[in-house]
Amino acid sequence: MTDLRVSAFGTSFATPVLAASGTFGYAREMADLTDLSAIGGVVTKGISPKARAGNPAPRICETAAGMINSIGLENVGARAFVTDKLPFLRESGTRVIVNFFGERPDEYAECAAALSGHDGIDALEMNISCPNIKAGGLEYGTDPEVAGRLVEACRKATRLPLLVKLSPNVTDIVALARACVQAGADGLSIINTVSAMAVDARKRRPRIATVFGGLSGPAIKPIALRMVYQVARARLGVPLLGIGGIVSGEDAAEFLLAGATLVQVGTANFADPDAPARVCRELAAFCAETGVARASELTGALDVDEARLPYSPGG
Amino acid sequence: MTLADGRSPDPPRYFPSVVLENRTLAPGTFVLRLSGCGALGGTRAGQFVMVRGEWGYDPLLPRAMSVMRVENGFSELLIKAVGKGTRLLERSRPGDRIWVLGPLGRGFPPPEARRQVLVAGGVGLAPLLMWAEEAARRGLQSHATLVYGARTAADLVLLQDLRSTGVELMLATEDGTAGRRGRVTDVLPLDGTPRILACGPTPMLRALHAMALARSLECHLSVEEEMGCGVRVCLGCALPGTERPFLYACSDGPVLRAEEIRW
Repeated sequence: MTDLRVSAFGTSFATPVLAASGTFGYAREMADLTDLSAIGGVVTKGISPKARAGNPAPRICETAAGMINSIGLENVGARAFVTDKLPFLRESGTRVIVNFFGERPDEYAECAAALSGHDGIDALEMNISCPNIKAGGLEYGTDPEVAGRLVEACRKATRLPLLVKLSPNVTDIVALARACVQAGADGLSIINTVSAMAVDARKRRPRIATVFGGLSGPAIKPIALRMVYQVARARLGVPLLGIGGIVSGEDAAEFLLAGATLVQVGTANFADPDAPARVCRELAAFCAETGVARASELTGALDVDEARLPYSPGG
Repeated sequence: MTLADGRSPDPPRYFPSVVLENRTLAPGTFVLRLSGCGALGGTRAGQFVMVRGEWGYDPLLPRAMSVMRVENGFSELLIKAVGKGTRLLERSRPGDRIWVLGPLGRGFPPPEARRQVLVAGGVGLAPLLMWAEEAARRGLQSHATLVYGARTAADLVLLQDLRSTGVELMLATEDGTAGRRGRVTDVLPLDGTPRILACGPTPMLRALHAMALARSLECHLSVEEEMGCGVRVCLGCALPGTERPFLYACSDGPVLRAEEIRW
């Protein structure tokens, strides 16, 4: 019997597999379709201080082994989240991480404060990297200095473990990761969606109303693995949450080996609402099959001949 | 609540079904008969399921399909092969496993003893055949007329099943090869201020939407949008609403009242 338990940023998790933000609603939507207590935790839809209506349609389109979305960070707002959504999450029997963002820099700290002091929230995950709001996350998420200031402000606004979700749409993700950790981040979620575009040649139009959107699904797994590994190799001293195209237990194992302590299952939830629980079962089976007693032993256990690395990330 | 709301009394389930039969009705149009669908027993006409075969990661997302029939643990879906996913479904064979999530969403209001016009375009027929069969079971078929349109005669399917319901049937084809020549919206019998129930291509629904609002007719439209999950977590299937900025085809619909939609 494999031990899937893991602990990170002072919090214990029943398994290292969480449901990713924006793919699991506020968990109640999925409660009839999966066993929430069987997974490590749920990361909620991103919350902003005020409710947001989101972007015009079409908001999603399918691409090879993936999809592009531009939902526009639609959410109920911090106050409605705490009154209407948190009570269910609190009783759900799983860990709750609340993803949050602001439309302006000062709104980040405001939101972190508004989400603090309530029972039932185990950690906050800052979204500094969503490509889908105008003048929004992307700029914060691509400049280490700006990101660092933002994290510092949120650090002062909350005593909850503070995770930062990083954008892959950067040249040097290690520089960003380092800035966030130096500013007080307790963990890093790697990666958010990859900026992308799809074209309908017959209509001669982009397939997403906002033209660009975020690519997710198995198509981005190799990019995500590379970035998790790069940041892990920089040994910044905080746990990493690996995200990007995880569909199976073996996918999860790959991220753990690359250096993640926890993983998040995202787009797979759209095809299979039981995906995070299934990934837990498959990860346990993978461990049993490969002689691993504790899933946490996989973290960072990738066998790499570093002399063969073509360049030195974060060096 | 559930009947008037067009929703099943049962919560949705995610389960594997098995293809019993894949029946071709016209080129590219087929009916999948699935077993193991006991969880769909309470499905209301107009509700839908998300379906996906075991074909790997491409295409990744399940496909939303209106339910056409449920009986004794079986279900039937009427599908037209138009893209990657539906072409793979078209090739499915007896014994293949299809994952099903449902029943989902809000369906049509149930049959009543009042004048009702059903408008079906193409495979939009599925939920309206289900509705007509329900009307027949309740002895309410004489109150309904089904206007069913397609491009050409060969695309009009399941005519015998439709006739068996006893619902008055009007056909229309764009090329005039069967029934009236033209689109369904050209031949609608609107005398007696009927309630309209419609499912079909979006241009057809938009035309009905305008017509219903102009004439103050009660009108229920089964809408179609790009859909990722079917359960209101991806928020992909948004369409503009009148009372709220956005409605979700998966959970506010797929059947929406015309006045709820800002088209």
